[in-house]
Formats: sequence, structure tokens, C-alpha cells
Amino acid sequence: MKYMLMMNTMKLGVDPFPGWPHQDIQALIRFMVDFDKKLKATGELVAAEGLAFPDQAKLVRADKDGEPITDGVFPESKEFLAGYWIVEVATAERAYEIAAAASAAPGLGGAPMNMPIEVRQVMSCPTPESK
Amino acid sequence: MKYMLMMTSTTDGFEGYRAWPQNDVQTHYAYLKGINEALTESGEFVDTHGLAWPTEAKVVRAGKSGAPITDGVFPESKEFLAGYWIVEVASPERAYEIAARISAGPGPDGEPLNMPIEVRQVMS
Repeated sequence: MKYMLMMNTMKLGVDPFPGWPHQDIQALIRFMVDFDKKLKATGELVAAEGLAFPDQAKLVRADKDGEPITDGVFPESKEFLAGYWIVEVATAERAYEIAAAASAAPGLGGAPMNMPIEVRQVMSCPTPESK
Repeated sequence: MKYMLMMTSTTDGFEGYRAWPQNDVQTHYAYLKGINEALTESGEFVDTHGLAWPTEAKVVRAGKSGAPITDGVFPESKEFLAGYWIVEVASPERAYEIAARISAGPGPDGEPLNMPIEVRQVMS
């Protein structure tokens, strides 16, 4: 079973690392690199990506001719996806364990952030049968 | 440049979709399949996935001992990712064009949905 682990932790115009010393940011990056390595070693990592900051995000709609209408206006409450992992695991519980390990990534002063990670099963593609 | 094209909706939106007649769902699905085929042909396709229904979603935090604390309660306003595409394109404008095609997918009675698609560059 494939699960997507999502860090919906970014907000528009909010510094994700307020007042963090450089070394704490480096420690978080090292943790993430190491985290991916461990998941690769167990054969559970399918994909992992990080996304550009929310100020780069665009909201696109088709107009009546099918042309893109592009704006960057999002509700203030919107949580932006900062990054995600897709893991292939035997059980949902294993996905939650991996999510908890990501949640405990080091933050300011190296203390675990215990950030929320959204976990949902990935379907191969949206099929009418999955309705 | 890689871009992620995200289709999101609130729980209400997902419930609305559940009420669509089966043939409208089939038409929408065939439309998306056509986009995937066109992107594969142009060499711009990287990945696409749909996600399980929001009722299946959990939010997980590490507890003090590092063990998972699992919760399934989200605010009503929460936008859930329904599915996404990752495309490899030459310019952001091309990513917006593809997003507009997805946006124009047919809804009930075949009318274009013109739904919002969030587009953001993938970094790693």
C-alpha cells in the first residue's frame, strides 16, 4: 500500500524558520537527508519532493476559451504543502510510524518539532470505480 | 523545471463529486486520462496520483517518546489534496497552460468545471 505523508506547514508570508540560527536549519536539512536515506535502505521510499515557498504559488483556472487565468490570491487560512513523501508500506500503522519520525524532526535548538503530518493512502489514479 | 499541479477541495466538494451521475464521472476520468496521454507523448509527464477520500486522512504527530499520535479531526475549512500531477516543462507559462486544461475538465452535464489548480515549482 502506498501512502502520502504531507507537511502542510507553510503559510503565505510567514517565515517557516523564524529566528532559527543557521546551524539549526542545517541540522533540519541533515535530518531530512538522513531520513530519506533510511527509507531508501528499507525499500519503502517511492518519492520525496520539496516545493517552492508559497509566495511562488499560483492559482490557475481555465477561462471560457480554456486559456489560463493566473492569480496568486489564496485565503489567509490556507496551509501550503511544504513537501511530501510517498512510501510503500505493509500497513497503515507503518505509515504512521514513519510520519511520527518525520514529525519529530529537529527544530529550534534541536528540540523535536512534533509537527503535524497528514497521512493518506495513494490510489494509482482516480478511477470511476474508486467513487 | 518541475512543477506540481494540485487539485484540492474541501470535504463538501468531495461529497458533491460523490453525487455525480456515473456517466459524468466516466467522462471526467476519460478527459484526465487524455491529458496524461498527451503529457506522456510530449515528454512532460513525471508523475500523477490521486489520493484516498478525506475521511481516510489522519494527522500524525510524534508524542514525547516519538511514538505516533494519530488524529482524524480536521477543521471544516480544510482543503484536502484530491490529486496532483508533476510535469517537467520549459517555462512556468507552460505549467499554467496544462493546469488550465485540467481546470477545464468536464463536470456534471459535461460543462467545464474551471476549478482552481494550484501550481508551484518542485525544488528537490
